Amino acid sequence: MAASMSCKNVFQKISSASRSNLKRSYCQSINLTNAEVRRKRNEIFETEKKRQLGLITRMEKIQVDVKGPPEDCTLIMNKGISTPFNCSMHIQELLVNRSALALVNGEPWDMHRPLKEDCSIEFLHFLDEDPRIVNKAFWRSCCLVLGHVLETALQNQYYVELCSFPKPHLQSGSFVYDADLKLKDWKPTTAELNCLTRVGHKLHHLDLKFERLEVDASIALDMFQDNRFKSQQIPFIAESSGSKVVVYRVGDHVDISSGPCIASTNQIGRFNVTAAHQIDTPDYGKLYRVQGLGLPSQVMMHYWSYDILRRRAGKFNTAPLPRLKMESSPQTDDNNTEIST
Amino acid sequence: MLRFPYRARPRKMSRQRLPEEGIIVGQEGRLQRLRQLVTGLVRYERIETVYQHCDETRGYAERLIHTAIRNGDQHQHTMEMADYWLNEKDLIYKLFDVLVPRYQNYSSAFTNIYRTPIVYPGRGTEMGILELKGNPWPDVLPKQRDNRYVISNVLLQAARKDYNTSKESRKTKNELNSSSENSET
Repeated sequence: MAASMSCKNVFQKISSASRSNLKRSYCQSINLTNAEVRRKRNEIFETEKKRQLGLITRMEKIQVDVKGPPEDCTLIMNKGISTPFNCSMHIQELLVNRSALALVNGEPWDMHRPLKEDCSIEFLHFLDEDPRIVNKAFWRSCCLVLGHVLETALQNQYYVELCSFPKPHLQSGSFVYDADLKLKDWKPTTAELNCLTRVGHKLHHLDLKFERLEVDASIALDMFQDNRFKSQQIPFIAESSGSKVVVYRVGDHVDISSGPCIASTNQIGRFNVTAAHQIDTPDYGKLYRVQGLGLPSQVMMHYWSYDILRRRAGKFNTAPLPRLKMESSPQTDDNNTEIST
Repeated sequence: MLRFPYRARPRKMSRQRLPEEGIIVGQEGRLQRLRQLVTGLVRYERIETVYQHCDETRGYAERLIHTAIRNGDQHQHTMEMADYWLNEKDLIYKLFDVLVPRYQNYSSAFTNIYRTPIVYPGRGTEMGILELKGNPWPDVLPKQRDNRYVISNVLLQAARKDYNTSKESRKTKNELNSSSENSET
């Protein structure tokens, strides 16, 4: 019943024009399904994105100094609309495909995040001289993709609620998503893990953008109303960042993360879901810690060495357990992107 | 004194053909050739010739700079040596005014030596490059990229570390087990 109540609230937020076709999709059943909830989140994301774009009424120009290679150049772009991705499109196809992240005035910046002011840009990729920032962004993006996999792979009867993922830590050997899968004492077989892996690997071919959106806490609460973990976390996150919550969208999957993330799922070359361990958390009860391993498509590795990494990624990852308190809340922790590789 | 491994015996260097004096052979020819090479090295700071000649020249050039650093330009023997080894006399000034200040605080050798690929088809001579360190030319070897932080290497390094620590712990556990068995018996 709580679910149907929450759906009603959503109707009030969304404009009346789209009401007729939304009504049928949300209230079909009392039991929530991931597909419905995802559709709802996506709608809210879409309307909010449109609203934010609508705020820009006058096209203003900014000057962007791009640092080579291939060469230094200056571009005149649209304020609040053009992204580093658009800048790279003016220069070279290689930059468009391989750039995972941009450094805007020395600050890591998503490729699909609009530029706000005059700035200098450098494009980063995975084989740079020092790719540590990009590596972290990659690990974080893989966590988002793992969330996507968990929400889409299971059948409708299992309403998966994603909890959170810890700070990206490459040395641990695996990226992690803690989630409530609504499965009792599940020990995944190799075949099951392979299925999950395949779902994730499909995203590589779909070439989905990682879109960043800064939304108000109230809108974020609307989005994640049906997720009991995220709806608890959002007030804490908003508190630390001044009532703003950063939300990412990959295809039709929406998740909270402070970012930055890589440009597209096409840049994830190898992807494996390696294990799911049961964990007991003080604040959220019993959860599954799902672990995975990925490599950028730019980085090649022999299958023999990859197999070593894959076996290691199956061992239990001892990253801190998800907690409600802000100090260790993963999304907020993620904010300070200090380099410790 | 020299800061690199060198050959104890002098090499036989083949005959030299000089424009005025014609062909000079033997010890005399060897020294002529070496003086030519040392002069060229100090002048151009990088020379390319037969590898064996590079290696032979290296010792004499370094020794000359060493004595120049140690004794300075007021020392008679050093000036004689400089006069002997440098065919072009303006290079004596370069030795004391440029090279001595440059190498004063070096704790390594003053020169680099490289082998270059054997040109084929050709005579099959092993060629080499001898250069003074701190020269203004572009590097002989391309700059090596630091790939420590590439994601694959970070992951493999962590896996290696993990494996080694687990091996260590297994070893200590085995030792403990064996010692306890011994004490029981």
